[in-house]
Amino acid sequence: MTLWRHEARLLLRQRLAMIALALLAVLTVAALGAGMAEVSRQHAAIAAIPAAQAEDIGAIAAWVDREKDAGSAAYYSFHPTWNAPSPLAFAALGMRDVSPYILRVRALGLEAQIYDGDTFNPELALPGRFDFAFVLVFLAPLFVIALCHDLVSGEREAGRWRTLAALPYGGAALWRRRSLLRLGLLSAAIGLPFALAAAMSGVSPGAILIVLLLVLAYLLFWVGLCALVGRLRWSSVANAATLAGLWLVLVLVLPTLGHVAINRAIPVNQGAEIALAQREAVNRAWDIPRAETMRRFYAGHPQWADSPPLETAFHYKWYFAFHQVGDESVAKQVRAYRHGLETRDEAARTLGWVLPSVGVQALLTRMARTDLTAQLAYRDAIRHFHRRLREFYYGYLFRDRPFGKADFERAPRFDAAP
Amino acid sequence: MNPTSLIARDELRLMRRNRVAVIACLLLVLLTLVAVASSWAHQKGIEDLRARQQHEAERAFDAQPDRHPHRVVHYGTFIFRPLSALAAFDPGVDAFTGNSMFLEGHRQNTANFGDVNQSSLLVRFGQLTPAFVLQAVAPLLLIFLGYGAIARETERGTLRVLMMQGATRGAIVRGKLRALGAVALLVALPAILGLAALAATSGAAILPTVAIVLGYGAWLLLWVTVIVLVSTLVGRSRDALLALVAIWAVSVVLLPRVATDIASAAVPLQNRLQTEVAIARDLREMGDSHNPDDPHFAAFKRSVLQRYGVTRVEDLPVNYKGLLAVEGEKVTSALFDRYSGESYAAQGAQNGIVSAVGVISPAIALRSLSMAAAGTDFAAHRGFLEQAEAYRYDLVQRLNRLQADGVTYADDTARDAGADRRKRVAAGNWEEMPDFAYRAPDGATLAARSLPGLAVILGWLVFAGASLAIATRRLGERQ
Repeated sequence: MTLWRHEARLLLRQRLAMIALALLAVLTVAALGAGMAEVSRQHAAIAAIPAAQAEDIGAIAAWVDREKDAGSAAYYSFHPTWNAPSPLAFAALGMRDVSPYILRVRALGLEAQIYDGDTFNPELALPGRFDFAFVLVFLAPLFVIALCHDLVSGEREAGRWRTLAALPYGGAALWRRRSLLRLGLLSAAIGLPFALAAAMSGVSPGAILIVLLLVLAYLLFWVGLCALVGRLRWSSVANAATLAGLWLVLVLVLPTLGHVAINRAIPVNQGAEIALAQREAVNRAWDIPRAETMRRFYAGHPQWADSPPLETAFHYKWYFAFHQVGDESVAKQVRAYRHGLETRDEAARTLGWVLPSVGVQALLTRMARTDLTAQLAYRDAIRHFHRRLREFYYGYLFRDRPFGKADFERAPRFDAAP
Repeated sequence: MNPTSLIARDELRLMRRNRVAVIACLLLVLLTLVAVASSWAHQKGIEDLRARQQHEAERAFDAQPDRHPHRVVHYGTFIFRPLSALAAFDPGVDAFTGNSMFLEGHRQNTANFGDVNQSSLLVRFGQLTPAFVLQAVAPLLLIFLGYGAIARETERGTLRVLMMQGATRGAIVRGKLRALGAVALLVALPAILGLAALAATSGAAILPTVAIVLGYGAWLLLWVTVIVLVSTLVGRSRDALLALVAIWAVSVVLLPRVATDIASAAVPLQNRLQTEVAIARDLREMGDSHNPDDPHFAAFKRSVLQRYGVTRVEDLPVNYKGLLAVEGEKVTSALFDRYSGESYAAQGAQNGIVSAVGVISPAIALRSLSMAAAGTDFAAHRGFLEQAEAYRYDLVQRLNRLQADGVTYADDTARDAGADRRKRVAAGNWEEMPDFAYRAPDGATLAARSLPGLAVILGWLVFAGASLAIATRRLGERQ
């Protein structure tokens, strides 16, 4: 134990090491603060939905109530959906800055609505966010390198290594003590602020523990890399240059190469083609006999088939039927598009098993539910909600029931946690 | 041969003997070539795809059968943002902005299907482009090759020897600068050649290409100067290396992210839901088209009747419903313009904050210079969005006027069995609607937009050069 205390005292006297540890702790705290501020902004935006929505729907209800036309109600009412940030989202914001977390939909064709984005500044999205995941994945390895690159070579250059190696508990044991001490302190500089912030945000103890283990494992990887390079018995400065080069390759170059390779190997037929095809299908309905549309619609949805036949005048049930038929006509492309996205995501995850930087980022964003999988899950939730919306309005349209002010209250509400 | 050249030659010989350095240089050149090739292929692919889709969308629009003009307002049209000529060098925000837009009446839609929403999480690690290699990777290589330039001589005491042999302080520093500068040139050459080839084949303007070459040249020269400066100031080569890597990490990796977080916290953007609700509220206040007694639309009706000298809308020589559609679109579009203008202004303010941070981090200044000259920054994207909106407004109003002139009011309000047929106008009209033609900003505009970034980098270069001059005078004193 005295040996450990002695090592700690030695480390404390190194100005560079102490500055590095303090700087890492400060960066971690800043990143956690920035992440928590962003998450609270997103919570505030979601909390502001009901008031805005009440005003909007209230105005529509006021004039629809005069004619009580269910079609107008369905056509003009937008219904909000949202994807609340998970408790851990502050640590890895992932895609939440570029993918919408609030989306309003109407009972009309969903394929023309579901890919809409929210307002964001592309120039701010380009460099990425300053969050905990960034500090851990990108910056922490540099601190490991700064503290561990000269553990043996530094002593050798000072002419002390032979003496140290000859001492009891010297040599390899000494190196182990020093490495573990540095690993422990670096992990603490990152882990303690994180654990505190996570506990404040209501992250479950199990998840906190997993992230802490992840931090430890990732730093251990870099300490191990330092040890491997150290075994080459090069000078301290050659070690530092080699390790910084490895960092560049592992954290910056290989992930970007992987991105190019994945997008090349797994082509995703552009989503824009779905939108084009759906529009064609929807608008064609105006140029073909209306009965044909209704036949197709009733074939898929027999529960409404007993609705009275169309007359010459415009009827909204036909309008909504052809929107749904339009959606259904591109279902196959939608599945293929989604499958392509999932395959790309899967390939990146596989790369994460080989590249620790990618692996840590993937795991953190998965746990924080801020990755592509979470985005697709949100889309699923929107689809589910949209089905309920359609069912709700069809109950009025196909049964020719009047739609009054009170009926607006009965419309389904998005349930964020299905 | 003068001492400066001798020292430079000596330094280069030392680098050539360092096998790691040679391999690193070769790897960087290889990486640049891969970046140029993949970026170019990616751009070609996107360009072809978007051109094909644009063509397909135009064909579909023109091939519409006889339709009621208002149906075509809702049928709308898709437009695809063409890539700028230099996007393969620096694609900028292209991956983050949607690349297709659906234009229709009554609504202003977002640009959708950006690459970022169609890619794996790797997209957030950065993109392998020539710009990325020169911005991030090349400086680090220069650091590895140059951190010991002077510090090594100081550490080993060879500095004294050199000076005793008659080399002045200035000659030593200039020699090291020249050697490292030669490496920088070598490192930058493949990317610059790639840029030149790109500019030549894609017909890019000369001025922005020159701005990019100047900007990256100044950037690498700045690093060469800073490396020699730190190597002069710091006595031990290991400390010089650590200090330089720290400077690199802070300016190239850390500050760009911190700057964006500061900007997004300082200037909030109104989200789409709030904007739509606000537009709907303003519309209700200006006039409710669903309310027959609404003062705004009642006044509009009176003015129309007065202009034609009739008392009933049925007696108008044109279709009143078409006129109403023109007026409605005018009112909503004015609101769209106002709200999108506010959003652009807010985003511009955010970018202004990032640029302000760029004064202390030339990496940010270089990024904005590069994107601005390549025509892939926010300003260029905004230009596209504004042209798209202008086109949308023009197209919708042409269709609304077609409804006013081509469909009679009696037919438009009829509900008998044959009315649907009579409401339609001939299919030949669709071909006469103009297609969207994006006008890219000209070379002078792009080059002008890149000037602030260039000024920051040159300012830093002057500052670093002056510091080095001062440091040179004190070289070798602390021993």
